Amino acid sequence: MKTAFITFLAALAAAMPAVADEAAVPAAPAERSALDAEVQSLRREVVDLNRDLFMLEEDLLFPASTQVAVFVSMDVGTFFAVDSVQLKIDDKEVANYLYTEREQDALKRGGVQRLWLGNLKAGEHEVTAFFTGQGPHERDYKRGTTLQVEKGVGAKYVELRISDKASKLQPEFVVKVWE
Amino acid sequence: MLGRIIILAALAPLAAAAPVVEQEAIPGLPAVKVQDLHYGDVLFRYYQQDYFDALVRLAAYRDQGRLAAHARDAELLRGGLYLSLGQHREAREIFERLLADPATPQQVRDRAWFWLGKVLYASGMYEESDRALRQGAGSLGEDLEAERRLLIAQGLLYRQRYSEAIAELSNWQGPRYWLAYGQFNLGVALVRAGEAARGLELLDAVGSLETRWPELMALRDKANLAIGYAKLQAGEAAAARLALERVRLEGPQSNKALLGAGWADAAAKQYEAALAPWQELQGRSLLDAAVQESYLAVPYAYAELGALAQAVEYYERAIAAYDAERSRIGESIAAIREGTLLAAAMQAGGDGREGWFAQLATLPDSPESRYLYHLMAGHEFQEGLKNYRALDAMAKNLADWQQSLGAFTDMVETRRRAFEAKLPAADARLATVDVATINGRRDALQAGFEAAVAARDITALATEEERAQLDMLDAVDAELARHAGDASYDEAREKARLARGVLLWELDAAWKVRSWQASRALRDLNAAVYDARTRETASGRAREGAPEKNAALARRVERVSPRIDTLAVRVEEAKAAQGRRLADIAVRELEDQRKRLDEYAVQARYALATIYDRTAATP
Repeated sequence: MKTAFITFLAALAAAMPAVADEAAVPAAPAERSALDAEVQSLRREVVDLNRDLFMLEEDLLFPASTQVAVFVSMDVGTFFAVDSVQLKIDDKEVANYLYTEREQDALKRGGVQRLWLGNLKAGEHEVTAFFTGQGPHERDYKRGTTLQVEKGVGAKYVELRISDKASKLQPEFVVKVWE
Repeated sequence: MLGRIIILAALAPLAAAAPVVEQEAIPGLPAVKVQDLHYGDVLFRYYQQDYFDALVRLAAYRDQGRLAAHARDAELLRGGLYLSLGQHREAREIFERLLADPATPQQVRDRAWFWLGKVLYASGMYEESDRALRQGAGSLGEDLEAERRLLIAQGLLYRQRYSEAIAELSNWQGPRYWLAYGQFNLGVALVRAGEAARGLELLDAVGSLETRWPELMALRDKANLAIGYAKLQAGEAAAARLALERVRLEGPQSNKALLGAGWADAAAKQYEAALAPWQELQGRSLLDAAVQESYLAVPYAYAELGALAQAVEYYERAIAAYDAERSRIGESIAAIREGTLLAAAMQAGGDGREGWFAQLATLPDSPESRYLYHLMAGHEFQEGLKNYRALDAMAKNLADWQQSLGAFTDMVETRRRAFEAKLPAADARLATVDVATINGRRDALQAGFEAAVAARDITALATEEERAQLDMLDAVDAELARHAGDASYDEAREKARLARGVLLWELDAAWKVRSWQASRALRDLNAAVYDARTRETASGRAREGAPEKNAALARRVERVSPRIDTLAVRVEEAKAAQGRRLADIAVRELEDQRKRLDEYAVQARYALATIYDRTAATP
């Protein structure tokens, strides 16, 4: 019966090398097969292609002469957790966005969301944003902010910034225009 | 034989080192206040781990000149994004370029050194990686600094410079998480190098960790498993069992731990005790090597206890279980060859989000998905599937663009036609506007105002009514002049003089306000004329430039189209090849399993025959 004991362990040994060999290899193998190299090359080329198409699409659909982009940013965000934002331009709703937890987190960490990209004629326009979410003490909170924007010849960028007004322990909503 | 087996078993968990160098996130970007909204947009994608989109936008915004305030941060991020996508060559080029630029600030430089070291490490260039990592100290945060030291230690470990690796990990000040990985990897390496005492000491530190963090609990299990098997090898059954008992009952290492615990008991001739962990294994998936082993171990223990009837019963049960599993593996191999495995794998998630791997264990028991959990536990299959998913995402991306490009072509053509249709009306409207004449009139007004100001000609700013009154007074004076010397007109003369005096006095009093108002009106007029001229120029330019611009867009659309088509074909080919490779890996793995089951079945039959022989030989 001792023979059986040894045989079982030998069988266990047969089960192990695959794992053990893998363990001996550094985390990323230095040698890559031709297929891996092709995948790498394709990924690079697809990124480059997407970059070119991203720019082409923007030039085609949103030329600089009429382009307006509206961004949402959050500075600290202690007093406000954004659930959604509604954007109106000249009293017409152009965006209504509901945030996922991931997106809320990305905003808190300093990411800036390009909420809307569109075209506007030169001249005066009214940009209005309504934010809903959780305010201080987890109370439901809805606030609006508005700004007259002069659209000139070049592209216009508008930032809707949610920041903390520490002195009042309240959130603050600011619209800022970038050239 | 036994020694070799135990070493292999003990080293098996070394794969735990992988998460340290392969984590997807790019930690430790220098904190920056966003000065370009578009850089913030890239960060927004990046923080959601949407690395592909972040990279595309970063490249596009950079080329559009929208990241000027963050040029170096953006490059650092671009390198990090390439690194996270596994594009080591691109990442390395970017980091080296940043380091060669003397204007790169120290904070960015430290991170570039760190990430370059990481790329070199992942490429197996440990000497070069070591040099880069040692230059990257300084402004890295706590986590990056810990990872840097760990990478240095692991680089030394792979070059078998164990003492230096131990020195690198001693006096560790960083987070415990990183230290535990470092100690574990080093401990396993030392056991492997024959320095069991030093290795086991390190492993014991990890194996005794008190933690509620799932990753560290998993690492603790691996450490205890490694200790357990090493102690078994050394013939220290009691110590082996103590370590193996510290492994959690539910977890990826539990099967091996239960098997080992049984062998520890068996080594101490406590076969009855050995039956408890081995019988616990019998209810688990037969694809696991430890479970397969337990089907032979249980009857072996019964045989050792002299309970030959039970031994026979369990050997027969083992043979039936192996045969059933063999036939299920056969079905799965057939399904894989028909290409159903990949569909199941793609449906099963595995996008790197939390919890996807555990979900695989709950997939329906069908031939195509039955062994996915097991296959995906293998590094080679997982890496291959990652590539397959990337290719699938690329194929979808290219298909979407192919569709959009058709719309782009239509759009350019519609725009061309609309322009041609609107042109005559626009030209006619433009012809009615003579900005040059307006400009001339504005110039004359300006000159008149400046002359009046220079001469302080108060009558120049008289109102229409005052102008009429002045004209009337001029006429009265002329009439009075015709009666010069006639005393009867003296009173009238005096009244006319008085009236003129009053009017001029009023004009003089109003001069300051009127000249200011006139100057402001001229300023407004200048602005209006300037706007009119600008719009006229813009209209002219648009009129001249629009067809050219439209043609340029049409050319861009036309040029990009074959690029998409060619790439789509290459992606499909690579995807098919990658699919074949995955199927090969899966079939090879399952064939190995089947072979192993065959061997087990032979062992079971042999043992059974031996028992029958013995029984027959007994009078």
